[in-house]
Amino acid sequence: MSVENRYAGVPATRELAAGTRVSQGSQFAGLYGREILKTFRNPLVLLITFVQPFMWLAFFGSSFSTVPLPYLDVLLHAHIQSYLQFLLPGVLSTSMLTIGMFGSMSTIQDKRFGFMKRILITPTSKATVYLTKALGSATRGMVQIPVMIAAALLFGARFSGDPLMWAGWVLSLVLLGFGFSCLFLAVTASSTDWQTPGVISNFITMPLMFASGALFPTANFPSWMQTIAAYNPVTYAALFGRGIVLNGQANWAYLGYLALFAAAMVAIGTLVASRYLKVE
Amino acid sequence: MTPDAILTRDLTKVYGKLVAVDHVNMRVAAGGVFGLLGPNGAGKTTIIKLLTGLSDITDGDASVAGYDVRRDPMHVKQNIGWVAAEVILDDDLSAWENLWLQAKLQRLSDWKGRAEEILKYFSLEDRRKDKVATYSTGMRKKLEIALALLHQPQVIFMDEPTIGLDPNTRHMLWQLITGVNREYGITVLLTSHYIEEADALCDQVSIIDRGKFVASGSPSELKSRVKSDFIEVETRSPLEEARLRRIPGVSDVKNQGKAWIMKVASAEEVLPRILEELKPDGITRINVEKPSLESVFMDITGKRIESGGGDVQDYRKFYMQLRRARQ
Repeated sequence: MSVENRYAGVPATRELAAGTRVSQGSQFAGLYGREILKTFRNPLVLLITFVQPFMWLAFFGSSFSTVPLPYLDVLLHAHIQSYLQFLLPGVLSTSMLTIGMFGSMSTIQDKRFGFMKRILITPTSKATVYLTKALGSATRGMVQIPVMIAAALLFGARFSGDPLMWAGWVLSLVLLGFGFSCLFLAVTASSTDWQTPGVISNFITMPLMFASGALFPTANFPSWMQTIAAYNPVTYAALFGRGIVLNGQANWAYLGYLALFAAAMVAIGTLVASRYLKVE
Repeated sequence: MTPDAILTRDLTKVYGKLVAVDHVNMRVAAGGVFGLLGPNGAGKTTIIKLLTGLSDITDGDASVAGYDVRRDPMHVKQNIGWVAAEVILDDDLSAWENLWLQAKLQRLSDWKGRAEEILKYFSLEDRRKDKVATYSTGMRKKLEIALALLHQPQVIFMDEPTIGLDPNTRHMLWQLITGVNREYGITVLLTSHYIEEADALCDQVSIIDRGKFVASGSPSELKSRVKSDFIEVETRSPLEEARLRRIPGVSDVKNQGKAWIMKVASAEEVLPRILEELKPDGITRINVEKPSLESVFMDITGKRIESGGGDVQDYRKFYMQLRRARQ
């Protein structure tokens, strides 16, 4: 067998004039724009995003409706006007846990349909792909915040706090959602299996939801669960919101903790993704 | 001297124990259409993945559009376009939005005029606002090529550009590919396992088998290596080999199932004699194989490129015998 295409003396390739990096602003805008376009063009996703908070409040919010308020005050270790008032900050926090799943699933879809190849054959870095997916799914989750607050008001809940505190509360949820999106996407960066996000979601969501101060006060927990809750960022987003809603008091240190959490997740996630994000 | 659009030196890719690309040296001159021809699994797509930076190179060097693929993949990516074997578009977006995204990913600021021009060239301008999901296969393929052209790349990679398309769409695409190469002056590297595609489009072809280049040259150069034609006949009544060998111009005869394959210097000269000789035997099938890239591939590897037939083994034996006879 003869091999004829062997070229001797291949000349040197072009010397690099500039650095090999290509700035990523435009690619970031394009990919984030794509996430947003796709989200808000899918009526079913929007419908469920809007309906889900109502269901939480209607079903879960009604579970103690026949219990007299003084009993609830004892059980919840708080002075409340309605259970909804206590529940809302917690439900909003826990719903930020699952939003990473959207980004993870759309990433796997892009891998399986080859679109990841189409993206990565352009001067776009894996870190950019990762960040736009995380931000995209966080954005999608954010839609729930105003809807749920409006729903709670509609169900008759009354809240304390001033606009600055409320802005801080929304920010705390944004940080929590973005942090968990980053974590979720990093964990599934090398996955191409449709089932993975669901499995991971259950694995992450369930313990972090219950081992937090989101739905019930941690004072009722056994000590091992209290330890988890003490580090769990979900706890702090819930407590931060609850302090504002119930008493008009904001513990800004909680917001700082959430900012640290989000920063750590995005840093670790970007490193993991730029290394392990699979093309297909 | 025209600069090389693609240059590789001992390009190698190993997956575990499998050597998918084995010390491939290739040089593609700027402005040409280069074909990688080989059966499924020969390593064609892997070569494209290596050259476009989608997959890491195990060993060897490669440069595309003058940039080193290993050291400077981002600049390579700014200068290449890519058309996938399976059409890859965002079905939820319109043609125009797909172009917008491509412009963003390629960091183009002034792209709208060019996008409109390309859509017009591909006759897609009327449907530009429609979701891509509603497009026909041919339109999707055209849009994919439009995306690949938007940022004025120096090299376009087309992986099996006409696989799974009906003959009309395939011919339309052939015209487009030739047009893109000539009008935009873009170097095209395409892979194919369709012989006639490589023959129709490429000015240089490398035949690849099991990760190795086994032959390279222009289609006519490669075909001229196989000097003979082959005539395959089937008759109602059984034939004797000696009788076929006596026909003037027949240099070798081989039985394959019901059929007889005769090696002849020129089918045009010998065919009338065969028809006359075998008239009483009742010819049920006759097939003439002129020198083709397929026969080059069979000559070298003993296999057909467009695999799937059960007669590979027979062909292999036949060609082995022919080669021995030639020596």
